[in-house]
Amino acid sequence: MKKRGLSDVQFGYLLILPALIFIVIIFLYPVIRNFWLSFYKLDYTAGGHLGFIGMDNFKNILRDGSFWSSLRFTIIFTVISVPIEFILGLVFALVANTRFKGRNLVRASILVPWALPTAVMAMGWQWIFNGMYGVFNDFLMRFHIISFPVSWLAMPNTAIFSVLFADIWKTTSFMFLLLLAGLQSIPDELYEAANIDGASGIKKFGYITLPLLRSSIVLAFLFRTIQAFGVFDLIWVLTGGGPGDSTKTVSIHIYNTVFRYLNLGYGASLVVVLFIIMLPFALGYARIAWREE
Amino acid sequence: MKRCLLSILLVLALVSAFSIPMWAAEPVTISILMGPDNTGGWHQVISDFEKANPDIKVNLIEGPSATNTREDMYATSFMAKESTYDLVYMDIIWVPKFAAAGWLLPLDKWFPKTQWKLFLPGDINGSIYNGHIYRSPVQSDAGMLYYRKDLLAQAGMTPPRTFGELVQISQKLQKPPGLWGFVWQGKQYEGLVCDFLEYVWGSGGDVINKSNEVVLDQAPAVEALQYMVDLINKYKVSPADVLTFQEEESRRVFQDGHAVFHRNWPYVWTLANMPDSPVKDKIGIIPMVHKPGYKSAATQGGWGIGISAFSKHPNEAWKFASYVSSYETQKKLHFLNGIIPTRQALFSDPDILKESPHYPDLYKVQLGARPRPVTPRYGEISDVIQREVSAALIQKISAQDALKNAAQAIRDILKR
Repeated sequence: MKKRGLSDVQFGYLLILPALIFIVIIFLYPVIRNFWLSFYKLDYTAGGHLGFIGMDNFKNILRDGSFWSSLRFTIIFTVISVPIEFILGLVFALVANTRFKGRNLVRASILVPWALPTAVMAMGWQWIFNGMYGVFNDFLMRFHIISFPVSWLAMPNTAIFSVLFADIWKTTSFMFLLLLAGLQSIPDELYEAANIDGASGIKKFGYITLPLLRSSIVLAFLFRTIQAFGVFDLIWVLTGGGPGDSTKTVSIHIYNTVFRYLNLGYGASLVVVLFIIMLPFALGYARIAWREE
Repeated sequence: MKRCLLSILLVLALVSAFSIPMWAAEPVTISILMGPDNTGGWHQVISDFEKANPDIKVNLIEGPSATNTREDMYATSFMAKESTYDLVYMDIIWVPKFAAAGWLLPLDKWFPKTQWKLFLPGDINGSIYNGHIYRSPVQSDAGMLYYRKDLLAQAGMTPPRTFGELVQISQKLQKPPGLWGFVWQGKQYEGLVCDFLEYVWGSGGDVINKSNEVVLDQAPAVEALQYMVDLINKYKVSPADVLTFQEEESRRVFQDGHAVFHRNWPYVWTLANMPDSPVKDKIGIIPMVHKPGYKSAATQGGWGIGISAFSKHPNEAWKFASYVSSYETQKKLHFLNGIIPTRQALFSDPDILKESPHYPDLYKVQLGARPRPVTPRYGEISDVIQREVSAALIQKISAQDALKNAAQAIRDILKR
């Protein structure tokens, strides 16, 4: 029979067309435009569009000490915060996955930090770490951990500590959520069988939980790594990148370049560099997400 | 047929006769973005303006209170060449940047030089870029020194004028940690530059001199930065906590009675004299201290109205801008929103003097106010100064090296 009009495949494409157009406009166009922009000089403080300049923006990045120091801090921040968040998140998830009274309340309360708007909670942490009024000092002094008040955000090392502390507090709950979802997808039968075989708790964890949680773990790691690498709001409010640029992240540097210096071409080239650094992580994430399906 | 045609024409004529005047009466709407109007002064001013000008409607868009967010909102709209905002409520440091980008209309034809002298010189100077004026000043701001009148009087001391006197009095009166000598803003942010420049100018230095050379690495600036470092580490009159302070954190300390001296903007006066303030009626203001033999200087802040180059109604926009900058409106805004006026005459207005007896002192401070470096690249220059001054304050590097780095970076920025 000769079909009239569209084949099934064509009709399928037609159905996804609106969504596809949406994705192209929202995601693909800005990415392409950003790449294009990175080869141009677009600097509003110098008069706007100033033409194609090839690789000049990228050459300037090599000499941009501020960028490299912010990249270094961003890497340190990511490498420290993500594993700690993972371990804490896993412990919380394992606990919340067992049966006990008030479990739902515990689960909900672990999620509260994640639900708070970052800027709001950063304001809170700013006061907690305040040297004169802060509750953090009060707490440590009551327990005789320190003998005199510390101005936590005043010096680089303590400021880095404070920023990490606040970030871990907030995003551990996100790790928790991803890992708990993974735990709940493990069928109970496996544990029942292990119980019959007389396996110990550690054995069950090593032979059932961890292997079946693997893809959730990798996913959580990749997701958090990408997020941590782009951290902005928490640090922007808490320290503004200071003191002496010691907590300045790449995102803050890019924000400054684009919005405050209005140097859009150069900002675009910084984004391209960040994009290239993040690409393996994003691809890894995409591969796992696809395999899951 | 003919009659039919005639009647149609008649109907058309009637319709147009009624509709044309109605179109003409349709008011023009102009929009302005500013911070939240917490005390309602702007709503009052706008409704008064609309009553006097029925052909113009003003759409007040209350944005977030964070100024940099509003700066982003304006910049994003302008980059897209949108006419979302006809009027630009501008911080003084945005002027060169927005003007250089071509986003502002020069106001020269409406706001001639002859009128400039009615305003505070710092507010006018900060509104000019490349010889054109882009902003009609509405609200002024300048850094100053608050001090505890009661404590100084008890000790029989007069307010300090020089760097050294401030340290001496502080050391004599302070009893840390309950009472510190001097609190200010030392966090790495825009306010740090404001504080820093007051010491630099007060030592006879500058960032960029009159012949456009970067002189930030010369002796006066280094001396100024060293003084700031010493306030914390050598003289020990400022707690290390100042390195985390913005305006509000430092005001808390002073207002709770934990500091003898405090550097801040004029807004502190009203708050520190609230009925529940522990230092109510115990404070005075003086111009910032300086090096002996030099002049005191304040960092100029403040807000004013410019007109977007993309506005479709520039004439109506100017009508509103000039209305807001007028004597009566500024006075109204002073009483409703507590703004510091930009018109010189208002500092001797009898009603204002009755309510704000410190205005003669404030006027002296305002006259010594100087703008931060006037260049479209100020944002970048400010970040360099913030970074290097902050690094020196935490003693990561010496004052000399910090300013050598800063001067070099600023030269590179200006060359680009």
